[in-house]
Amino acid sequence: MEKVVYALFLVPWILAAAVFALPGASLHRLRQVLTFASLPVLVWLTYLVWNSHLPITMNSPHWLKVLFVVYDYLLLLYFLYQGVKFKNFLVSVLALFQLFLLTWVLLIMPESSVPDFYVDRLTAFMFLIVSTVGTLICIYATKYMEQESLERENRFVAILLWFLGVMNLAVSVNNVEWFFALFETTTLASYVLIRFRWDEVSLKNALRALWMNQVGGIAILLGLLFGIKYYGFTHFTQFLTLAGKPGIVMIPLGFLAVSALVKGAQMPFHRWLLGAMVAPTPVSAILHSATMVKIAPYLILRLSPVIKGTLLAKLLIVTTGFVFVSAGLLALTQDNFKKILAYSTISLLGLMMLTASMGSSMAVLASLTLILFHAVVKALLFMEAGIMEKLFKAKYIEDIRRLIERAPITVTFVSIGFMSMTIVPYGIFVAKWMAIEEASNFLSHGAYVGSIIFMATGGVILALLYFKVIGIMTRKRGEFYRFNLEKLPFVYLVSTVPLVVFVIVGSIFIAALLQASVNPVVAAVVGSPAPISAKGLTLVTPVSELYGWQIIGAFVLLLIVPILAYFVHFTGTDRVYEYTCGENVKLNIGTYDFFCIQSVEPFVETTAVALFILTLILGGGLV
Amino acid sequence: MDFKSFRKKSPWILHYNTGSCNGCDIEILACLAPKYDIERFGALNRGNPKQSDILIVTGPVTKRAKERLLRLYLEMPEPKVVVAVGACACSGGVFRHMYNVENGVDKVIPVDVYVPGCAARPEAIIDGVIKALEILEKKGKEVELPRWCSVEVKPPVNRVKLLNRCLEELHGRRRG
Amino acid sequence: MSYWEAFILTLISLVIGGFIYGLERIVRARMQGRVGPPLLQPFYDFFKLMDKRSIIIHSFHAFMGVMYLIGTWFALFVLLSGGDLLIAIFFHVLSLAFLVVGGFSVRSPYSVIGAMRELLHMVAYEPLYVLSAAALYLVTGTFQVSGILHSNHTPLFYLPLLFVAVLLSLPAILKKSPFDTAEAHQEIIGGPEIEYSGKFYEAVYTAKWIEYIYAFFFIFLFAGGNHILGALLVIFSFFFFNLLDNVTARVNFRQMVAFHWYILIPLAVINLMLIALWRS
Repeated sequence: MEKVVYALFLVPWILAAAVFALPGASLHRLRQVLTFASLPVLVWLTYLVWNSHLPITMNSPHWLKVLFVVYDYLLLLYFLYQGVKFKNFLVSVLALFQLFLLTWVLLIMPESSVPDFYVDRLTAFMFLIVSTVGTLICIYATKYMEQESLERENRFVAILLWFLGVMNLAVSVNNVEWFFALFETTTLASYVLIRFRWDEVSLKNALRALWMNQVGGIAILLGLLFGIKYYGFTHFTQFLTLAGKPGIVMIPLGFLAVSALVKGAQMPFHRWLLGAMVAPTPVSAILHSATMVKIAPYLILRLSPVIKGTLLAKLLIVTTGFVFVSAGLLALTQDNFKKILAYSTISLLGLMMLTASMGSSMAVLASLTLILFHAVVKALLFMEAGIMEKLFKAKYIEDIRRLIERAPITVTFVSIGFMSMTIVPYGIFVAKWMAIEEASNFLSHGAYVGSIIFMATGGVILALLYFKVIGIMTRKRGEFYRFNLEKLPFVYLVSTVPLVVFVIVGSIFIAALLQASVNPVVAAVVGSPAPISAKGLTLVTPVSELYGWQIIGAFVLLLIVPILAYFVHFTGTDRVYEYTCGENVKLNIGTYDFFCIQSVEPFVETTAVALFILTLILGGGLV
Repeated sequence: MDFKSFRKKSPWILHYNTGSCNGCDIEILACLAPKYDIERFGALNRGNPKQSDILIVTGPVTKRAKERLLRLYLEMPEPKVVVAVGACACSGGVFRHMYNVENGVDKVIPVDVYVPGCAARPEAIIDGVIKALEILEKKGKEVELPRWCSVEVKPPVNRVKLLNRCLEELHGRRRG
Repeated sequence: MSYWEAFILTLISLVIGGFIYGLERIVRARMQGRVGPPLLQPFYDFFKLMDKRSIIIHSFHAFMGVMYLIGTWFALFVLLSGGDLLIAIFFHVLSLAFLVVGGFSVRSPYSVIGAMRELLHMVAYEPLYVLSAAALYLVTGTFQVSGILHSNHTPLFYLPLLFVAVLLSLPAILKKSPFDTAEAHQEIIGGPEIEYSGKFYEAVYTAKWIEYIYAFFFIFLFAGGNHILGALLVIFSFFFFNLLDNVTARVNFRQMVAFHWYILIPLAVINLMLIALWRS
């Protein structure tokens, strides 16, 4: 089974090398075939891992450790070089600091015989997301780059495929020092992807992403340093042995949690993710939002058994809950479609980490459900954003006005994506519902009451945001009896339709999905599975039930009916113009952009910084 | 089932001022106030032509108000009745034959009930509305058009087109 | 409550809601020193609208009006069938979604403004309802509506502040003054419902009656298993919110959201935390 796990890292790299070695416009088809091949291969490998006897622990040869150390230094020196080359003070200083810390860590690092690879259910779960959503994104990218520039396509797709391997490796290492190396490798990946076009804006945003993620790297190194100092721990599994023990020193865990917050683009470090949107490669945006940032909730989930119930967890709940609400609020002021998606990603990442820090089995179940559905839905939405940009020249909200008249399929997919993040029967709603009911058990804790308010408020603000956009898209001038479905390229359909199908089918059979696929992961993370069961379509939780007829009823209302609405025509009825008090006016309706919220932005950022510091100092026990 | 008898039990009113001195408007509002309280008869001042049955018009119809009046009238679903309230609305009143008025509502849209008075008293307005309800009960659901309008319609009516044709004719009539 | 009872109750909810609306119009008129319409007035309106010639902007918009009625009906059934309270609250959001999408789908300024304000209404009162679901769970130990209705505890005695908060946000959910920004008849002439007429307006008009039942049933839950007290609560809140409707002017949407977020939600949280601390 070890070979299969190694294959999961190496196959994407081999494919990436193959794609990279085939430059030029003429070999486009060949590259496409290679990229298509990654989907079945990786899915098959993940299937093997999923069905094997988990957890798998693997010891590594000595040369690999040496290799990692060398790689670490090379990577940091490269960062330093980039900082010097582009005269970016922060990048250089942070790189130097990292070099210093790394050397320190390596000097005091004890020899340990703990296996360096630890593949449990949670890792396999992340493999699953990477090998399905990630490969679909790569497939999509081949077509997208065809419309962008074929000359550099090989480079771009190769980076994406290489990243999949890195991601797989990052979630399966046990050694924290290696995790640092891979964490910084994902930083490198985002740096390279954001600056892909080499213009001024992209470079600026790429450097910003670089230094912000370097802060996360420093936090990991500090966490590791204190882990070694207090416990002599260098591996995640060692940290897990602390679970449930009283009076543990929280400093290493606090730093690790902070690194997760940075990678998860939580405020005040949210600007790197927004910068990734300004960079003109939406595919990289997809990768960032759908897969890369999932390292953040992954890290919190890894640590959740240890930090459960501590002050750190409560402060994390408040911080991430605050981000959940305020990122949603700030999203209301945006008029760029991709930025709206970026803000809602930040927001929902907050929710994922919030539920992960609660740490009980139901909350972890909610967190995993969120990770799964969010990856799928966000990938779908970003793909649609790319399609809208390339095919319909719609980048801003102003451009997507009355899009339904031109692109009914795209609008339907986007609406399904948006609704699946707020409305009743979809997976993300179910996760939120379980989280609220779980938090209701601890109402004497301020943090949990806070989490209920955050979840309720943030959810409804996101609903406001999404319906605002849906409303603009579905506005129509008048009746159309014969509407033309737009012609989408085959590759776009191949990459988006499976995601839509998964969102719908997965939400209908949510009970079975949670019980059969997600609950084993919960058992691996928490130690015991969540007390849920499936009776047909009905999802039974300890305190309540989500009935099958409710799910079906909501789906009939939400999904079938609006599609039906395209075909229902009240032919025998008079048509009339809009009421305008009798005046003859040109109807050109704009939209709300909530200027009033922009005035809260400084306040929100200040509070976010304060909460961040509180999490580190109080939660990390630095006082 | 015959719903015609319910028409007079729930008259919803749209009130439009085509350049009146506000004397009649005040009296119409007085009808809604506690003393006269026409909500006793189920009447509501909706302010929305698409949900109203009775169009109460005051004022002598200035040239600028003419087009708006027509738009509002065509926006109302049938069956509907028009009540002209006050001397101005009936015939132009003191503004009759001035350069800027149309001399009464019935020059633009068909009127069912005329309520005289300057200003019309609330009792008279209520009486007019009750008279209008009797007419409303007998009316059919065919599309009603202004008398000067020669456009032929067949259901389903596209009122956007209908309005444009009517407006062409209205402006053409002025030029002719 | 069994499914059959809930089903029958949902079916006749239209009639009950109509009577409540008729009564409300009378009560409101009497408070203003008027006589007011007959009790059956809403049904007269109902039958009259049946007979009107319908004119629509486009079919999608008209269809969304009908769906709003069906969605609200379904949401009420979810609430009455004794299932999870939170789910029922979120189903209410779903039903409003139809009204909002319908309101957005036409190029009418009033309709679009109204639909946006409808969403802001949701932003205002939704967190409060989620909190009260959590609070009812704290007192009665269950999220199931049927469980709350057969509980031995009376949530009202434990949650007086929360009840006051819900009572004060009742105008927001039913769109009455002072929180009637979405409808605002004098200002945007009904908001999202402005472009409906005839039979399609009828659907929207009656959906609002169902919302009455929905909101008052929520009030009823605050009495737990004590159904007589629940009936008294409903009657009291009915008169109270009519009084509020008559004596207050409309606030703008920012004031509405601010009032809910900065006054009502903290009120609810204080109550919730004190009870939770007392119990633990």
